[in-house]
Amino acid sequence: MNFSERFSILHIGLALLGRFARSLPRFFLIVIGGGWGVFYSILHPSAWRRTVIIEFRRSLRQLVAGGFFSVVVVACLTGFGLVSQAVYWLGFAGMSQMTGGLLSSVLLREMAPILVGVILLGRSGMLMLTEMGGLTKGGRLSSLNGMGVDPFLIFVVPRTIAMTVGGITLGTLFGAIALATGYVACWVKGIVTVSIWSFLFEVVNSMQLVDYIGIPLKFLLSGSSVGLCCCLSGIDITAEDNLTTLMPRGFSRGIMSVLVINVVIDVILGSF
Amino acid sequence: MADDPSGTGRDYDFVLKLDEAVPVSDSTGLPPVKYNLFVEPGECVFIECRDEFRAAQFTDFCAGILPVKEDPATRKRRGAVSCMGLDWSDLDERRANALRGRIGRITAESGWIDLYEMHLNILWPSLHHSRAPYDTLVGEAVKLCQSFGLPGLPTQLPEKLSVLDRKRSEYVRAFMNRPSLLLLENPVSLTAPVELYNAFFTELTAARERGCAVIWIGAERSAWSGYIQQGMQRFRLGDNGLLK
Repeated sequence: MNFSERFSILHIGLALLGRFARSLPRFFLIVIGGGWGVFYSILHPSAWRRTVIIEFRRSLRQLVAGGFFSVVVVACLTGFGLVSQAVYWLGFAGMSQMTGGLLSSVLLREMAPILVGVILLGRSGMLMLTEMGGLTKGGRLSSLNGMGVDPFLIFVVPRTIAMTVGGITLGTLFGAIALATGYVACWVKGIVTVSIWSFLFEVVNSMQLVDYIGIPLKFLLSGSSVGLCCCLSGIDITAEDNLTTLMPRGFSRGIMSVLVINVVIDVILGSF
Repeated sequence: MADDPSGTGRDYDFVLKLDEAVPVSDSTGLPPVKYNLFVEPGECVFIECRDEFRAAQFTDFCAGILPVKEDPATRKRRGAVSCMGLDWSDLDERRANALRGRIGRITAESGWIDLYEMHLNILWPSLHHSRAPYDTLVGEAVKLCQSFGLPGLPTQLPEKLSVLDRKRSEYVRAFMNRPSLLLLENPVSLTAPVELYNAFFTELTAARERGCAVIWIGAERSAWSGYIQQGMQRFRLGDNGLLK
């Protein structure tokens, strides 16, 4: 075997290794790039064209109005199940002074961002995924590109921002409804005797500074990551893909992003 | 500004200029040979091409989407494609998109976004590229719709409209916002009603009188036989590129 043959084998081996190494974080890198693109775009006034604003309003209406009832139902169930049980059992154990702390750390900080992220993903994210996949596969995005309309600017940017706004809106609503429903359930059973304002004050009072930063940040970033993952998964569709391959992939990417965001924020803010 | 190497004029004298340009292309698409095409304002150029994919690639090449090939040894670009005096290769993405906003297109893939009603689909490029008030754009669109035989600006989803009404809407979108260049891929079907055919020619002539250059790529010569005049450039797009 001469030098050139050895070099050729080495070259092929390195190429295979490189291809494998690049394929693993490929979508993660796409999301990082897409996230930077969205952030860069929203800071430029020229990006806020009428088409972007129309798409932003349409997406926001769809995801807030569409996700409203899902959030109300899940929040009520969580209130009945989690809040009332926590209040009951802590009272039973003589630890009712811990109610506020438990609810703020378990419900508001940990559960609400994940549940709202899952609702956003299932109710609107999957719709975005199929829409973007259909537009890409049908060659519509290429046609728009040919008319000088950047598909990233008119679809990915407004949808990601709408998801971010929708995330904190629905998240706030979720927290308020879950706590209120839990209080009402306990009040009906006669478990709590304090007023709702005292109950809410107890929860709010038990929150720390990092919670005031971490909880909104989780809602914001969960929403934006779901939007970004779904839009980019849709754009990233290949000719071999169909709904049966696209939707599970988009769902797993979306749910993974929600979980990663929550864990990363907990680690950074030291909330563990 | 430098004189044109072909000696036919300056860059700004042409709306579209393909100067010895070789596209990046594989064997299935546009042949990677030298293309020369000089189109002045108000001029109409006819190109016969029976392959729809090749025709689409050629219009993409004119619109700067398909880039010019680079010489691997010298890293120099092989030729240049410029629109309104601006070389596509020198423009960043934002500027290139803005320049594409001056081009009206009719493509084989109409590119209707099914999520929006037809009126938004028609107004979409104009809303994106111009700052003209919404009512002004709607007024212009309604006028064009009526000239192409629609009762007004259609508000249904594209899929709910008939094929003919979608074609009419496509004309309206292409002529909206007074384009400087029209890239038309098979714009006329011989089976279309004669009124639509006449309306299209009327708007095409009006656009050319405003200084809009036109590239008309068609599979059939008979489609433009009623419009072609002495002195208009005619080409055939084949395996060897553009042939007169």
